[in-house]
Amino acid sequence: MKSIFSLKTLYSIVYFVGSMVILLLIWSLVSAITKNEIPGPIATWSVFFEMLKDPFYDYGPNDKGIGIQLWSSIKRVMMGFGLGSLLAIPLGMLMGGSKFTMNLLNPLIQVLRPVSPLAWFPLGLLAFKASEGATIFIIAITSLWPTLINTAFGVSSIPDDHKNVGKAFGFSRWKYITKILIPFALPHIITGLRLAIGVAWMVIVAGEMLSGGVGIGFFVWDSWNGLSLEKILSAILIIGFVGLLLDKFFNGLQNYFAYENKK
Amino acid sequence: MITELENEILIEKKAETSNCISVKNVTISFKTNGKGTFTAVKDIDLDIKKGEIVSIIGHSGCGKSTLMNSISGMVKPTSGEVTVNGNKVTGPGPDRGIVFQNYSLLPWMTVYRNVYEAVDSVLKDKSAAEKKEIVEYNLKMVNLLQHKDKLPSQLSGGMKQRTAIARAFAINPSVLLLDEPFGALDALTKGSMHVELLKIWNLNKRQQTIVMVTHDIEEAIFLSDRVVVMNDGPEATIREIVNINIARPRNKKDIVHLPEYMKVHDKLLSLLVKNLSIDDVIFE
Repeated sequence: MKSIFSLKTLYSIVYFVGSMVILLLIWSLVSAITKNEIPGPIATWSVFFEMLKDPFYDYGPNDKGIGIQLWSSIKRVMMGFGLGSLLAIPLGMLMGGSKFTMNLLNPLIQVLRPVSPLAWFPLGLLAFKASEGATIFIIAITSLWPTLINTAFGVSSIPDDHKNVGKAFGFSRWKYITKILIPFALPHIITGLRLAIGVAWMVIVAGEMLSGGVGIGFFVWDSWNGLSLEKILSAILIIGFVGLLLDKFFNGLQNYFAYENKK
Repeated sequence: MITELENEILIEKKAETSNCISVKNVTISFKTNGKGTFTAVKDIDLDIKKGEIVSIIGHSGCGKSTLMNSISGMVKPTSGEVTVNGNKVTGPGPDRGIVFQNYSLLPWMTVYRNVYEAVDSVLKDKSAAEKKEIVEYNLKMVNLLQHKDKLPSQLSGGMKQRTAIARAFAINPSVLLLDEPFGALDALTKGSMHVELLKIWNLNKRQQTIVMVTHDIEEAIFLSDRVVVMNDGPEATIREIVNINIARPRNKKDIVHLPEYMKVHDKLLSLLVKNLSIDDVIFE
């Protein structure tokens, strides 16, 4: 059994490497076509390596290491994502549990969901009088929808068989929620969270470009002002890989809580 | 041979002549999508005594589960009323244990937890140790104690059904409602489950009233005191109630040779099955 597992891991590594090779080829090609106006992988690598050598240096407000920038972005994303989820999960349960709330709130969600995070930014500034609060606000408000919708769907699709157990054995409301509703809806909730963290991580870059200060989004904008395309490309790669890791983390959670797969 | 226990039960049964379950003039209709109403059962009257085992038998869709659900309280009668131990049924209650057709175990809980949560919910006043003892006693009764930490997905159909039966018995209900409990089991497992069910009923001094929905004639005869035969729906009614006058304890192998068994079997067969040989099949 173990050899099959390691073979599978080996395959996925091979595929991953293959995928990265394709990326590097396209990148080199684009770089060659633009006559190195867009720097190629090798030119970017040396800058990237410089950045990684001292990721946590701090030479004042406008000159900080990539590690500090990244960490402050992750903190912001977690704050916004956390607040959004804390709102979305109970609200989703409420919607999934009653047709009335579902019908009442669904149009509201459909109207607010497609609004761009940037459109929310001025409102955030007005409300929090600071760009930090505004950034967290736009992450929260744009990342809560997938969780809300998936939670509502999960709760509304609890099979009658499970509900009947609660009815037949007189489960209290609390017991029903903790022993039937949440265990059943959890895989759906985690799917929502996985989509939400993806949205949050996309929004952070746009948010920080507007807000300035410290963060990976600000770093991209600052590098553009400093005309260092190598830094921008490095930041894009970092953003991509952090996004991948966040997704993998929630994918792991998903597998862990999928009760059908538990053996 | 009448043992002391049998004697005691006979006396108790005589004393308890009052009805445990009483279905009075019950009609159940459902609203269908835009097409008006569908009446599943109509004008049903049925009295079941304490400690009786009664089977409801009929073709698929004849409303036997609906009738059963009106006793469990899962379905409200459109007219008429159901009383259990003198109380009008308005919803499910802990005095009635239900074993569902498809077991209805919660897939994220172990066998032990599935039974424990029901016990914890119904027998709130008991201490944790007492509840644990009740769960373990009931799991032992269905021979599942060594499998108590398994999830339902790791169990065979028979084991799932035994868990569901243990759960229903564990809350110590006065009435047990079984909705086609052995329908999904193979013939051999089914046979041993019948005996196990009667064993548990015996251990509880035959005090529990059992109502079972089935479409298996042999099962109905082996288990029941009376078999309620339903007409085909819609608007199903009771066609006939057949008494099974076979002394308990019954032996699965021996009773089939009894004249009474053959008589009852014939009767049920002719009530339920139209075509008994190829000569009865008419092509038009």
